[in-house]
Amino acid sequence: MSTSFVPAVRRQGSLHAERRWALIVAYVSLVLASIVMLAPPFYMLLTSLKGSAEIADLSGNPWLLRNPTLENYAAIIGSSMFRGFFWNSIKVTVMVVAITMVVSVLAAFALARMKFWGSEFLATGIFLTYLVPDTLLFLPLYQIVGGLGLLDSTWGLVLVYPTLTVPFCTWIMIGYFASIPKELDEAALIDGANWAQMLWKIFIPVALPGIIAATIFAFTVSWAAFVYPTAFITRPDEMPLTIGVVSQLIRGDTFAWGQIMAGALLAALPPVVVYAFLMDYYIAGLTAGATKG
Amino acid sequence: MASNIAMAGGAAAPRPGSLRRFARARSTIAFLMTLPLILIIGGLVVWPAGYAMHLATMNRRMTAYIGLENFVILLENDTFRMVIFQSCFFAIVAVLLKALIGFWLAHMLHHIPTKGQRKWRGMLLVPWVIPPALSTLGWWWMFEPSYSSINFLVNAVGFPSIPWLGSPWWARISIIIVNVWYGAPFFMIMYLAALKSVPEQLYEAAAIDGASSWQRLFRITLPMMRNIISITVLFSLIVTFANYDIVRVLTNGGPRDLTHVFASYAFQVGVLSGNIPRGAAVSLFMFPLLAVVAFFMLRGINARNKEMA
Amino acid sequence: MIKETAPPGVTTRRATLAGAAAALPLVNVHAQGTAGALRCAFWDHWVPTGNNAMRELCGRWGEQNRVNVTLDFINTTGNQLQLTAAAQSQSRTGHDIISLAPWDVGAYSELLEPVDDVMGRLSTKYGPPNSAAEFLAKHGGRWKAISPPSGSPNKPACVRFDLMKEHAGIDVQAMWPARNERGPGADTWTWETFAQAAEKCQRAGFPFGLPMGQFTDAVDWVGALFASYGAFMTDARGNPTIRGNAKLRQAIEMTVRISRFLPNDVWAWDDASNNRALISGRSALVFNPPSAWAVAKRDAPAVAEKCWTIPMPAGPEGRFLAYLPWNSGIWAFGRNKTAAKALLEFLSERESAEHTTNTSGGYDIPPFATMSDFRVWEREGPPVGTIFNYPNKPHHQATASIAFAPAPPELATQMYIQALNTKVVARIAQGGDSLDTALGWLEREINTMRRG
Repeated sequence: MSTSFVPAVRRQGSLHAERRWALIVAYVSLVLASIVMLAPPFYMLLTSLKGSAEIADLSGNPWLLRNPTLENYAAIIGSSMFRGFFWNSIKVTVMVVAITMVVSVLAAFALARMKFWGSEFLATGIFLTYLVPDTLLFLPLYQIVGGLGLLDSTWGLVLVYPTLTVPFCTWIMIGYFASIPKELDEAALIDGANWAQMLWKIFIPVALPGIIAATIFAFTVSWAAFVYPTAFITRPDEMPLTIGVVSQLIRGDTFAWGQIMAGALLAALPPVVVYAFLMDYYIAGLTAGATKG
Repeated sequence: MASNIAMAGGAAAPRPGSLRRFARARSTIAFLMTLPLILIIGGLVVWPAGYAMHLATMNRRMTAYIGLENFVILLENDTFRMVIFQSCFFAIVAVLLKALIGFWLAHMLHHIPTKGQRKWRGMLLVPWVIPPALSTLGWWWMFEPSYSSINFLVNAVGFPSIPWLGSPWWARISIIIVNVWYGAPFFMIMYLAALKSVPEQLYEAAAIDGASSWQRLFRITLPMMRNIISITVLFSLIVTFANYDIVRVLTNGGPRDLTHVFASYAFQVGVLSGNIPRGAAVSLFMFPLLAVVAFFMLRGINARNKEMA
Repeated sequence: MIKETAPPGVTTRRATLAGAAAALPLVNVHAQGTAGALRCAFWDHWVPTGNNAMRELCGRWGEQNRVNVTLDFINTTGNQLQLTAAAQSQSRTGHDIISLAPWDVGAYSELLEPVDDVMGRLSTKYGPPNSAAEFLAKHGGRWKAISPPSGSPNKPACVRFDLMKEHAGIDVQAMWPARNERGPGADTWTWETFAQAAEKCQRAGFPFGLPMGQFTDAVDWVGALFASYGAFMTDARGNPTIRGNAKLRQAIEMTVRISRFLPNDVWAWDDASNNRALISGRSALVFNPPSAWAVAKRDAPAVAEKCWTIPMPAGPEGRFLAYLPWNSGIWAFGRNKTAAKALLEFLSERESAEHTTNTSGGYDIPPFATMSDFRVWEREGPPVGTIFNYPNKPHHQATASIAFAPAPPELATQMYIQALNTKVVARIAQGGDSLDTALGWLEREINTMRRG
C-alpha cells in the first residue's frame, strides 16, 4: 500500500490527511455501531441481574444496576422445566447436526465428484430448496407431522429440521469438495482405493474446515429454529429453548422480566460460546455460500 | 434395482471393459449416496409444497374442494391486502437498510489496520449469533410501554416518549429496526469477505490516476462486488420476506393487524383460528417472489459457472 | 406421592420452587395399586402458586381412588393450550381432560363427552352455574364441559382509590364497600361516569390502563361494555347484525370516547401491560383479576395498598362482568371417561373450589353464584377487603359476559382470536376511519370468516 509513486509524492500531504480522516471516521462508525449492536444483549444482562422490585421501580435509570443479584439465574437454573428445554434443545440439535452432516457430506461428495444422470439438476435443485422458507411449509408439515403422530414430540423436530440445514450444508460441501484437485482422487483410485476410502481418507481430512463450518451452521440453525417448534410443540416437556423461553417464561399476567432475560441469555449462550471459540470457521461458513457459489 | 442389474452384469461378464463397469457402479453408488438427500428434500420440501397447494383449495373443515375460493376471499379482504403491503414494505426497506449499513460497516472495517479488524468484527457480529427469537425478547423489553429503557434515553435528551409498539408506523419501524439490527452484521461479513477479494493493484492503479475515493468506490469496489451484493440482497429478501419470529415476539401482528407479514398472518389464520387451508393459501402468496428471486439467482449462478468453465 | 417427572437425563428434584414463575409443568400423581390412569391438560396458572392447588387436589383424589393422575399445565401466552386442543382434536389422541378456551367447547362439542350427570348433581347442590358458563359449555342441550374454578377469572376494575378520589372525585371505597351492600353513588357507576373519570385521570397524568390490543384482557373488557349496551355483532346463527344497529354504534362510540383518554400505545398492549401500568404507579384503573394487585404487593407495596377492586360500570342494558372461564372437557376418544368425570366433579365441589381459590390468592372464580362468599376475598389485603367485590356478588346486579355472544362458537372463536371488537374501535380512534367505514369493514371481516 505504502509504495510511493512519483505522482503520489506530490500529493502526499493531502493523502495523509485524507487517510487520517478516513481512519477517524472508521473508528467513530465502528464505536457507534458496536454500541448499538451490543446494547440489547447488554440490557438483557442488566435486567437479568436485577431483582423484581428494582425492575418495577420506575424512579431510577434503567441502564444502571443498583442491587445486583443472581436470584433470577438461580431460579431459572433451578427450574426443572427450563433444564428440560435445554435438554430438548441439545437432544434435537445433536441429532439434527449428525443427520445433516452424514447426509450432506455423502451427497456433496457424490455430486461434486461422481457425475451421474441428473446430478447437475439435483445440485441446482438443492440450492433452490434452500430458498424455500420454513414459513411457507409449516402448515402442510403440520398436517404431515400430525399424520405421523409426531406433533408434540421432539422427534417431529428431528424429522423436519434437516430441511433447514441439509440444503445449505450440502451446498457448502460441494464447493469445498470441488476445490480439491482431481489429481488427488485419481492417484487414490490408481492405488486401488474404493470410494468410501477415498471419501474417508482424502476428502474429509482435506475439507475439514468446510465440515466444521457446515457443522456450525447446522448447529446454529437448529438451535435457533423457531417456526417449527412454535407450530408443532405445545407441551412444555417437549419444548426446545427458543419456544420454551418465549412461550413459557412469559406469564400472561405476571412480572418475571429478570427471569425471562436470564433464560434468554442462557439459551443464547451455546451459540455464543461456539462463536467465541470458532469465530473464523463460523464466518467461513457464513461466507461460503457467497464466495463459492 | 439399478444396483442389482449393475452387480449382475458385473458377475456375468468377468472381464468386460472394467472402466465401463466402474462407471456404472460409480453412478449407482453416487445415486445411493444422494438418496437420503433426495428423500429429505422430496419428502419434506417438495411434497409439502405441493400439499400446500392442494390444501389451499379446500374449505375450512377440509371436506370439500373450493378451487381458488380461498385466494379470492383473501384478496377481497382489507386486512390481507394490508398484509401484502406490509410484507413488501418491510422486506424492501429492511433489506435496503441492511445492505447499506452492512456495506458501510464492512468498508469501515476494511479501512482500519488488519490486526484490529478481528476484534471489531467479533463484536459487530454478536447480533447475528443470538437466536433472533430470544434477542427480540430483549428488544421487546426495551420497547415496553411503561418500562421502556429506550424511551428513558429519548426522554433524557428532551423528546417525549415514543409509542414504539402502539402506533402502526412506529411498530413497523420497530420491527424494521430489530430486523436490521439482526441482519446487518451478516451483510457486513459478506461484504468484508468480498472487499478483501478485490485485488489491491486495482486501487493502486486508480490512485496513480488520481481517482477520488468516490470514483474508486463506484468504478472499482462496486463493480467487483456486484455479484456478491446481488446474491446477498436476493437471499436476504427471501429470508426477510418470510420472517416470522420478530413479528411474533415483538407485536404479534398488532396494532390492528398492521404489522402482520405473510408468515405471522398465515399462523394466525391457519393455526390459531383453525382454518388451515386458508392459512396455507396465505403462505403460498410468498411463492411469486420466491420464483422471481430464484430465477435471478439461477441466472447468476449459471453465468458464474460459465465464467469458471 | 407427588413426584415431578423431568425429561430423561435431567436430574429429578423435588418440587420446592413455589413462587418462581418457572412453576413445574409436569406432575405425576402416583397411587399404589392403581386402577387406571388419567392425563389432564390444565391451564397453567398465571398466579405463581396457582398450580399447587390442582396438584394437591388431584394428588389426594388420585390416592383415594387409586388412579394415576398426570397433570400437564399448559401456558396460554402463545395460545399453546388452544393449539394443543386443536392438535388433539385432529389426531384423536391426547389427554383425557383438557381445559378449553371459552369458545372452543362449542367448536369441539362433537368430540366432547356429555357431562350432564355431573352438572346435574352439582347444580342440585350449588344452584345453577352462571349464564356465561352455561352459554359456553352447553351445546345442543347437553353440557359438554365443566368449569372447575382454577384459572377462571372475572375482570372487574382494580382502582387506585387515592387517585380516583383526588382526580375524579369518586370515592370507590365508599361506593363499593367491603360489605354485601351498595354504598352511596353505586347507582351512578356507569360507563358515562367512567368515561368522565377516565378523562379527568388522564388530564392529571394517571390515565386508565385499559388494553385495546388483541389479547384476552382487551377483548374481554370491551366485550362487557358492548354487552351492557346490548350491542351484538351477529345473531345466534352468525348473520351480521351490523347495519342500522343503533346499540352497536352507541357502544362503539363510547369505547372510542374512552380510548381517547388512554395512553397512546394501548393498541399494542398485551395481557401483562395493564398490570405493569398499575404496578408502575402510572395508572389509576385497570380491568384485571387480583393478580395485578398481588404482584404489586410483592414488587411495589406502596401501590398495592391503594388498590380497591370494584364491579365494572353499568350500561343502558345493565351491568355485565367480563368472565373468562377455562372449561374442562373430556375427549370422547379418551380412555378413562368415568374417572375423568369423577375427577372433574371432585374439583368442582365447594371444598375443592375454595381450596383452589385460596391458593391462587382469590384469583379463581367458580361458576356457581353460591360460591361467591369464600372468606379469602374478605381477608386478603392490605388494604383488607381490597378484593371483596372481585367475585360477582348479588348486590352488584351484574351478569357474567363473554365477548361476541351470541355468535355460534366456530365463528365466535375466530372473532375472539382476531379481536374484532377492539379492532373496530381502533380503526376509528387510531386509524381515523369514520364509524360507517369501520362498520363496513367489520361486516366484511365477519363475512370473510364465514365464507369457505
